[in-house]
Amino acid sequence: MTAASSKASLLSRIEDLRHIPTIPAVLGPLLRYLELPAEQLDVQKVTDMIAQDKSLAAQCLQMANSPLFGRWQKVDSLRAAIVGLGIQRVRDIALSCGVLNIIPGETQGIDPVVFWEHSLGVALVCRHFARKISYPDPGKAYLAGLLHDLGIIVNLWMLPKEFRGAYDLARNEGIPLHEAEQSRLGFTHCESGRLLANRWELASDLREVVSFHHSPPCSHEHASLIALVEISDLLCRMSGLNHGFIEKREVNLLEETSFNVLAEQCPGEKEFDWARLTFELDSYMDEVHALVHAIYRK
Amino acid sequence: MTTALAPVRSPIALDGPPDPDLIRIRDLVYQVAGIFHPDSKLRLLQDRCGRRMKELKTLTFREYFEHLTIRPTRQTELVALLNEITIGETYFFRNQPQLDALQQIVIPKIIEAKSKLPLKRMRIWSAGCSTGEEPYTLSMVLLEESQRRLKGWTVEILATDLNERSLAHSKSAIYGNYSTRHLTAYYRQKYFTPNGEQLEVQQSVRNQIAFSRLNLSDDARMTFMKGLDVIFCCNVLIYFDLASKRRVIQHFFNNLLPHGYLFLGHSESLYGVNDDFRLVHLPGTTAYVKGERVQAGKQAL
Repeated sequence: MTAASSKASLLSRIEDLRHIPTIPAVLGPLLRYLELPAEQLDVQKVTDMIAQDKSLAAQCLQMANSPLFGRWQKVDSLRAAIVGLGIQRVRDIALSCGVLNIIPGETQGIDPVVFWEHSLGVALVCRHFARKISYPDPGKAYLAGLLHDLGIIVNLWMLPKEFRGAYDLARNEGIPLHEAEQSRLGFTHCESGRLLANRWELASDLREVVSFHHSPPCSHEHASLIALVEISDLLCRMSGLNHGFIEKREVNLLEETSFNVLAEQCPGEKEFDWARLTFELDSYMDEVHALVHAIYRK
Repeated sequence: MTTALAPVRSPIALDGPPDPDLIRIRDLVYQVAGIFHPDSKLRLLQDRCGRRMKELKTLTFREYFEHLTIRPTRQTELVALLNEITIGETYFFRNQPQLDALQQIVIPKIIEAKSKLPLKRMRIWSAGCSTGEEPYTLSMVLLEESQRRLKGWTVEILATDLNERSLAHSKSAIYGNYSTRHLTAYYRQKYFTPNGEQLEVQQSVRNQIAFSRLNLSDDARMTFMKGLDVIFCCNVLIYFDLASKRRVIQHFFNNLLPHGYLFLGHSESLYGVNDDFRLVHLPGTTAYVKGERVQAGKQAL
């Protein structure tokens, strides 16, 4: 089989997305409701919607009690969590829990939890970074970070054996996963992520992030959001919130195309203290591991 | 998937939200000394301030912040706090990600940069080597490479410190349990000889190192440190004021070859001190490289 026909056949297997789960039932209506202006939202209605799914409700409470979401005093009811945290945080938490519940059945020995730890880490770094450089929508940055690697889950789910080959190549050589996917599969998780993002009818900016976070973002409509995710992703991959292996390389952020895109669009970024952001990642690392493990505790 | 409410073990959580005055102390220490305590290390900073506060009979972080900022003894107190912060920081294999990055990324890059030169020589400087654990660790790591990537290379490690007593300890090369607690059995057996209850560094490790006394503020002598590939300067600059720090860093910049690397201590940064060095990210750690490496056209940033 030629490389081109192999790629086409793999992609056609992915396009048969019937086996990919949808977002947990309650999340769709909940997220649509949370898109309403804050003053129109009814806390009781939000509580009722989340409470429909007991597992989701329990996980939301666990997350709500984590300092990652700004909570220092224990909350023991959903209502208290929502009142205390505000709608934006509840939206972040509800979507995080929903997404974290998507775990493929057959994974060829790869622990999918590392990908969710990475995604949650990127989401938190995106949000923090967005605030620091006065990016207008830190909430959106959080969602974009959380969802950027959707395609990895698609590959893991639909092409477990082939993805395992790419993953082993990346781990053994210490190269970025998308480069190994390109060489083994002929395409990357950006392409498979795009298919799922379209199926889920994600907003166009999130679709762009999923599709283009490993390619130069300059030409896209949501270039600064993509750039923000790409840089946060890179920082996490160079730290302990990586894809489960070390990339053996040196990264100079000034040489990244995304850095230039952000510098043009977010003036605050020029003087940004990258060293401090990197040290702050240390805190996320321990907390993200603890949180994700708590959620997956059987 | 559990539906029960299991408590999340939170590594960050203190007993409540962090004291805003502790955060002010954290930011002051970062601003003055360049050493940052992320939220996960706040408890550590709290304990270290606590020891000083006990000494001063100070009850609140607010009052202690005043000791560090407006009291006449603020300079002395800051040094006392920095001493608490860096206490116990000296042991073998202190910063493993840094050593891994040296072995896996930095050494191959230096070899590549020097591939056209006839003389295969690598020069590494441990600036502020304290009691010697750092240069000996570097020497062991480089000896491991001497049969691999560095076959046929001459390695020189310069180790300097201001303190005569620390240098004397370095040269004695005998270490107790505390310093050697992170040594793996492999390194312990290969490079150390028991000396009573202590461990003595073997001659092969010592041969690569030249110890000498040097004051980093001695401009005349600093200009003589030439042709360096890597400089390690961990938890030393934190004691310098901004102007002296800038002078030392400028020397380091000149001392390093164009492909050279500067490593600082864990969570230590040059932000606001120097614009010529560029921060680079290596797996699990950071380092500084000379700015010329940034391609033309991007320097405008």
